Amino acid sequence: MSLVSVQGLFVVYEPQGALPVPAVRNVSFDLEQGDFVGLVGESGSGKSTLGFALTGLSKPPARVSAGSILFDGVDIAGMTPAQLRVQRHGGFAMVLQSGMNALNPVRSIRDHFFDIFTAHGHVSKRDREARAIELVGKVELPASVLDRFSGELSGGMRQRVSIALALSLEPRLMVFDEPTTALDVLVQHAVMDTIRELQKSEKFTAVLISHDLGMVLEVTERVMVMHDGLVVEDALAAEILAAPQHPYTRMLLSHYGDPRAAVVEVPGLAARGGDRATDVAVAAAGNAPVTVTGDTLDTLEPVAAPAAPPASTVRRREGRAAREAIVVTNVSKIYQRPSRGEEPVCAVNNVSFTLEPGASMALVGASGSGKSTIAKLITGVERPTSGSITFGDLQIDTIKRRQLKRLHTEVQMVFQDPYAALNPLHTVEYILTRPILNFSRLRGRDARARVLELLETVGLTPVEQFAARLPHQLSGGQRQRVVIARALASDPQVIIADEPVSMLDVSLRAGVLALLDSLRETWGVSMLYITHDLLSARLVTDQIMVLNSGAVVEEGRTADVLQNPQDEYTIRLLEAIPHPTVGGLVQS
Amino acid sequence: MTPTRTIIPPTSIVKTMSPGDHAGTANPLRVLWRAFATIWSVPKARIGVAMLGVFVLVAIFAPLLAPYAATDNSFGRSEDMSAAHWLGTTAAGQDVLSQLIYGARVSVFVGFVAGLLSTIIAVLIGLSWGYLRGFAGEVINFIVNLFLVIPALPLMIVIAAYLQNGGIGMIVLVVVITGWAWGARVLRSQTQSLRSRDFVTAAIFSGESPSRIVFREILPNMTSLIVGSFFGASTAAILAEAGLEFLGLGDSTTVSWGTMLFWAQNSNALLTGQWVLLFAPGLCISLLATSMSLINFGVDGLSNPRLREGAKR
Amino acid sequence: MRYTLSKVGLLLLTLWAAVTLNFLLPRLMPGSPADAAIAKLAQNGPVSPSTRAAIEAQLGVPTGSAWDQYLQYLNNVVHFDFGVSYTFFPQSVASLVATALPWTLVLVGFVTIVAFIFGTLLGVLAAWKRGSWLDTLPTVGGTFASAFPYFWTALLLLFFLGYVAGWFPTSGAYSSSATPDFSVAFLLDALYHSILPATTILITSLGGWILGMRSTMINTLGDDYVTFAEANGLHPRTVAIRYAARNAILPNLTSFGLALGGVVGGSLLVERVFNYPGVGYLLYTAVVNQDFPLMQALFLIITISVLLANFIVDILYGILDPRTRR
Repeated sequence: MSLVSVQGLFVVYEPQGALPVPAVRNVSFDLEQGDFVGLVGESGSGKSTLGFALTGLSKPPARVSAGSILFDGVDIAGMTPAQLRVQRHGGFAMVLQSGMNALNPVRSIRDHFFDIFTAHGHVSKRDREARAIELVGKVELPASVLDRFSGELSGGMRQRVSIALALSLEPRLMVFDEPTTALDVLVQHAVMDTIRELQKSEKFTAVLISHDLGMVLEVTERVMVMHDGLVVEDALAAEILAAPQHPYTRMLLSHYGDPRAAVVEVPGLAARGGDRATDVAVAAAGNAPVTVTGDTLDTLEPVAAPAAPPASTVRRREGRAAREAIVVTNVSKIYQRPSRGEEPVCAVNNVSFTLEPGASMALVGASGSGKSTIAKLITGVERPTSGSITFGDLQIDTIKRRQLKRLHTEVQMVFQDPYAALNPLHTVEYILTRPILNFSRLRGRDARARVLELLETVGLTPVEQFAARLPHQLSGGQRQRVVIARALASDPQVIIADEPVSMLDVSLRAGVLALLDSLRETWGVSMLYITHDLLSARLVTDQIMVLNSGAVVEEGRTADVLQNPQDEYTIRLLEAIPHPTVGGLVQS
Repeated sequence: MTPTRTIIPPTSIVKTMSPGDHAGTANPLRVLWRAFATIWSVPKARIGVAMLGVFVLVAIFAPLLAPYAATDNSFGRSEDMSAAHWLGTTAAGQDVLSQLIYGARVSVFVGFVAGLLSTIIAVLIGLSWGYLRGFAGEVINFIVNLFLVIPALPLMIVIAAYLQNGGIGMIVLVVVITGWAWGARVLRSQTQSLRSRDFVTAAIFSGESPSRIVFREILPNMTSLIVGSFFGASTAAILAEAGLEFLGLGDSTTVSWGTMLFWAQNSNALLTGQWVLLFAPGLCISLLATSMSLINFGVDGLSNPRLREGAKR
Repeated sequence: MRYTLSKVGLLLLTLWAAVTLNFLLPRLMPGSPADAAIAKLAQNGPVSPSTRAAIEAQLGVPTGSAWDQYLQYLNNVVHFDFGVSYTFFPQSVASLVATALPWTLVLVGFVTIVAFIFGTLLGVLAAWKRGSWLDTLPTVGGTFASAFPYFWTALLLLFFLGYVAGWFPTSGAYSSSATPDFSVAFLLDALYHSILPATTILITSLGGWILGMRSTMINTLGDDYVTFAEANGLHPRTVAIRYAARNAILPNLTSFGLALGGVVGGSLLVERVFNYPGVGYLLYTAVVNQDFPLMQALFLIITISVLLANFIVDILYGILDPRTRR
């Protein structure tokens, strides 16, 4: 008998005063003892809802409306909370996505363990200290962590504690809901290794929920792909890798690549061999495979990548190509801690580089490497502690408030979170009109014509419709296009893109990246691309700088550095990228 | 993760735009109407709006509704309820019902004016304080906290005692002096959280001036808090005004619910058994205050962008 | 430790500000309260130069520089020298305050703490049993009761339970025949007299605590650590108390400190209605008789009490929240 057998499961969301929305539709599958299964899908696919249902945690407005979940032969879908509670010891456990907030801030870690032992009575009072130490040991944490409170632990440590707590239930099924998404790249890798080893040694059945197909393929044996509430594909990882059946799976898979390969390509983005000349030639020939279309109105993106994408709408701009370079010389930024007695933090340490006109440069590193601080320094939001930053005749490091406006006509920014970067109360037209009125002499009809032109440039057509919309009426990808259009409104020479695609679903990333790439290509803006994602850096930049703890550890041509990394930190960053089988994902 | 993400039906998309329609400035009347509709859509708030509406109408049309003049003392003293005097008469021979109806004017007026003034001060201080950093912010922080912890009513009593019989104007002044701090604190923390949002940074990149950022980017996102603190301040003002008048610290010749209770207590209505004299004004104060608390259940939706959706249709 | 020190510093700073405000108030007001006060005092007999100086220092007759007056005033405050009351001539203000203060501290302090604890528990229950009658009843009742003016509730209780039913005494803190001491008979008598004022404060302040705790508790119930605790099969009671309520109490404690001033203000009116011989009633008497020295001293004492109570709340917060220990 299977450990878990799900039959015809439906979960609906029934928000108050709104129509019910099906989140999981007619899902059936079995899990055997010791399986390690991945559950993959983009946001809104219903994967987390399914995970919550599997562990008996569906809460209003979510409700299991039909079907059964047999756990060890017993249907847990129809159980009362009291019955479920008893089942949890030796039954099913869950590790939540936001391990940051999964711990009670006012109880010590020890109390968390003891609460569980008391609730189920499976560890005697005499043994519980030893058992707690053993459990935190399993997730590679020292016993001293038991005395701590969650506020004193790093994100990775908190997630490890969550895993140890779930483990203390001695579960036969563990569901991991995006266990590493909120963590730093390098920490992600380490936590995932721990999960993998635990699954082997403790022999529980594991379900790994993730948006990252590459990572899931790397660590699990079997993968279920969810789309729009349906499981569209359920096969062994090797089979999915070798011969994906469903177009949606194929689309997801096509967006993976190895940044170390000689040629890297994803649908919608030109191949970049490291040879600039070929790229230009391809673009000039007018058949660059650039997808710059507006996303479809509903939030569901097309299942398959379009076969013949329309030509780019980005037009060459006359006489306005970038002329001036940003020159950063020996810049450091030291933050004083607010409380005395703590060491000041050196966020940027003696960094120098030049962003040549028309160039595209990547600034990569894990979080805390200082890459976003550099963006703030270049855009005059903050001032360096020492060193100089110039753009043309503007001295950015000592810039006055009045000159900031001049700087912003030439240097613009694309933000990470498209949901936070647009004021929810303003229409797209208002958002785009403001910089035009502030930075140009266009007024009235001319300004409006310029708004529509910008919308066309970023592929939001029909332009009149998009101009009238409010941000909440747009999908994530469309919002990010508005953010880009706003950055273009002042007709800048330089665009600083701070993780512009990290908040977007995989299938939307290529479109936004292609837009940025073609802007640089045809419009002639310089681009500083800040990211932790080496694949996207490889796709849209020619030069790269690797930052570690505020200092540049490696720089050069992107293709060279990534294919032949010299610094140990760069190598670790590259190794943290999932690669299911060597060369398996890379069609070169 | 959230299948509830709203999918906008294509019908809500504006098909055409007139050329004169500029840069998304929604018709203010339309927005006001939608704001009202938003509050109205919450059942508790609907009851509050209806109750408040009755009080406001009574206050406006008091001369038409009241059977007698409020200060007319030509009737029998301390009479019980009768056909001529539905709620009886006071110890001074005035008609209780007429006093009650005219009394609504003072409470509604004080609630509205003091609430509005407190809210304006709260908005100005809250916004600038939330936007300021460094020493100036610390100083304001201290002053606001001082006003928050100093017990308001004793301070009002002391000030009112110095400004002998200042009447309603004095009461409004005293209530405003002590009533702005709470709103300022709430608005300041919201300003701080909004100013760190990317769209505010983006507005700086769009070349917007600081005042425009405060008034066009930050302020509209705080509508529900501002309306909420208005009703909160109004409620506090009405209760404080009644309290001060009850102590005899206002102009005791004004006809208001507070002075009615003052005279009822001083003329020993308790001993004569005229419970209506005590019961009716207090009930009116309570109901007026309750109506505002109830409306506050409905203001949460006011900062929602959906209010402005299709405002140009 | 850092936290406690910073709170002590804040307390000292706030105390200084309150004392200074008390100094400035009469000087900012139109007219000369000091002249009025001295004139009133003169009706009772000759005013000694030292008394005159004390009143002038306190109420601001422009003798000497403002700075000298301020120093003189600070000196008086430190020595609890608030001059002489002319309403209760020749008693000193300090002795009057000392007699009145214990009544208010015991009545208002005790009832407020009881109301906060009881209201918080009801709020926890309402949030935990959301949608049931345990939620609806306290929520609706609380909304209405908190809109009642304190003095109105007091008047109604006094009228119906005091005069009409005759169950409780209608005035004072103890029977006129009793002499204040610590005998059981007197304490019972005092307790009997305090029931109506206490009930008034309880009824009108309870609603606020219920509503506040309910809404923060509903927020914490949605937090991840609550979901995770449920996923780990903790007992529902543990989840409700040690996870949800334990965190929800923290913001409510801060609101408690800030709302304290309002409760104290309301209690003053209650004391007036019941002729309860606390600081509220004394303040009323002082205001009616324009006894400015007494009034100023009472305002200062009330403010300092609320500031100290806030300080205690802050310290309690520090003990309850491990995040302040760093």
